[in-house]
Amino acid sequence: MLCQNCGKNEATTHIKQIINGDMAESHLCADCAAHLGYSDVFSGFGLNLSELFGGFLGDMLPAAAPGRVQRCARCGSSFEEIARSGMVGCADCYTTFYDRLLPSIQRIHGKIKHSGKIGAAVPAAAPQEETKEEKRAKLQAQMDKAIADQAFEEAAKLRDAMRALDAEGGNAQ
Amino acid sequence: MSKWYIEKGDQGDIVLSTRIRLARNLREEPFPIKLDAQGKNRVNALIRSAVFENDQNDFSFIEMKDLSRRQAVSLAERHLISPEFAAKKEGSALILSKDESVSIMLCEEDHIRLQVMKAGLDLEGAYDIADKLDSMLDARVHFAFDERIGYLTQCPTNLGTAMRASVMLHLPALTRCGQMTRLANTVSKLGLTVRGAYGEGSQPKGDLYQISNQITLGITEETAIANLKSIVLQLVAQERAAAAELMKNPAEEDKIYRALGVLRLARLLSSDEFMELISLVRLGVARGLLDVPMEKINELIVNMQPATLSVMHSEADGPAARDAARAKIVRETL
Repeated sequence: MLCQNCGKNEATTHIKQIINGDMAESHLCADCAAHLGYSDVFSGFGLNLSELFGGFLGDMLPAAAPGRVQRCARCGSSFEEIARSGMVGCADCYTTFYDRLLPSIQRIHGKIKHSGKIGAAVPAAAPQEETKEEKRAKLQAQMDKAIADQAFEEAAKLRDAMRALDAEGGNAQ
Repeated sequence: MSKWYIEKGDQGDIVLSTRIRLARNLREEPFPIKLDAQGKNRVNALIRSAVFENDQNDFSFIEMKDLSRRQAVSLAERHLISPEFAAKKEGSALILSKDESVSIMLCEEDHIRLQVMKAGLDLEGAYDIADKLDSMLDARVHFAFDERIGYLTQCPTNLGTAMRASVMLHLPALTRCGQMTRLANTVSKLGLTVRGAYGEGSQPKGDLYQISNQITLGITEETAIANLKSIVLQLVAQERAAAAELMKNPAEEDKIYRALGVLRLARLLSSDEFMELISLVRLGVARGLLDVPMEKINELIVNMQPATLSVMHSEADGPAARDAARAKIVRETL
């Protein structure tokens, strides 16, 4: 589809807007979209969409081209489909294509390790992980309190306990 | 029952509302992009029964295909659903609390988009409600979660906490002083986004802006909320300072009184003109210049949007009748 504004370039930005209570769709090329002030439309979703696609396509597609296409066992998505749409097909896709998705995930978020709320129904290995992290956080809090109370001997003990915990984690990996 | 947005909350002179949105997916089901209408309805039924099993919010269940286009757009205007969702039909559903403070979009981009809205600045309060509902659901359905990358979402941009926190701000003085582009650039360097709350693009209607967190992976909900809150409070302080400076100019004060004059007497008001004038009046109220309750202004900003106006007032059918109805209601309210 050609850009509705200039009629010359391929439309890469598709915008649904509500104008005066009605839904309107526009299809624009990147230049016209920027010119008309739509360049920040996607910023609310965490990034410029073309960057995401660029990231996916640039890094991933050449490596995937030769040989048989790998597909997700649950939903049948191939990595190429995911890269093209920017949408992942199901939870299992993240396992199947984890290594190939990771560079894009890092580019989007800058980080690749979740921190925050942990789901209740996590597979068996996770609760252990959770208790360890919790344990460390608890030790940290106790140590902070000990330092604040100027109970330095106690704080040193807690620090050693935390180091021991960290060393455990290192071995596990 | 009074709706959440009519109240005036913390920092209410500048902050209109706070929103927390959590994205969740069922572990066993393909994401919506891979589901047909039948599959979506199956997912919706599962989530529906989990929500209604212990409903303390007086929820109602709405299938998008049963709504008229206007009703659907009105929900989007009130930020209860996304504009994309307003266009959906078969297989998309909405669970809405009676006071409209909690809305759950089913099979939007993700299986579940749980959203909590509060008046004024109340990120912790809104998150607390969202978190409790999320934990309640988590106990009944299996969420897609990976200990490495957190909650699994259809779009990788939401991985991790899958939480988007946003605050709607009225920043007329900073806009008038030409500061918004600079501020938006600064804020984006801090992992947050500023954009127009109504009407995308360069010139937001009514000087209303939405500021939200951008990064969801590797940052806890609490930290993301604390960061956002601290930036919002700084913006609020800057807006107040800019407004105080602006009011030293008698011409600016004059604009506010003229705006109120037009709103009180006009017989036809287009949406754009209304938004421009109500923004000035809101500034006047925020500065203590005008004696109009802020709650009334906030209510008008929400209810005078085209589709919402048409849904609430049957005579407001078609653009001309709508402009007349808008002028009449604004006149009577002010």
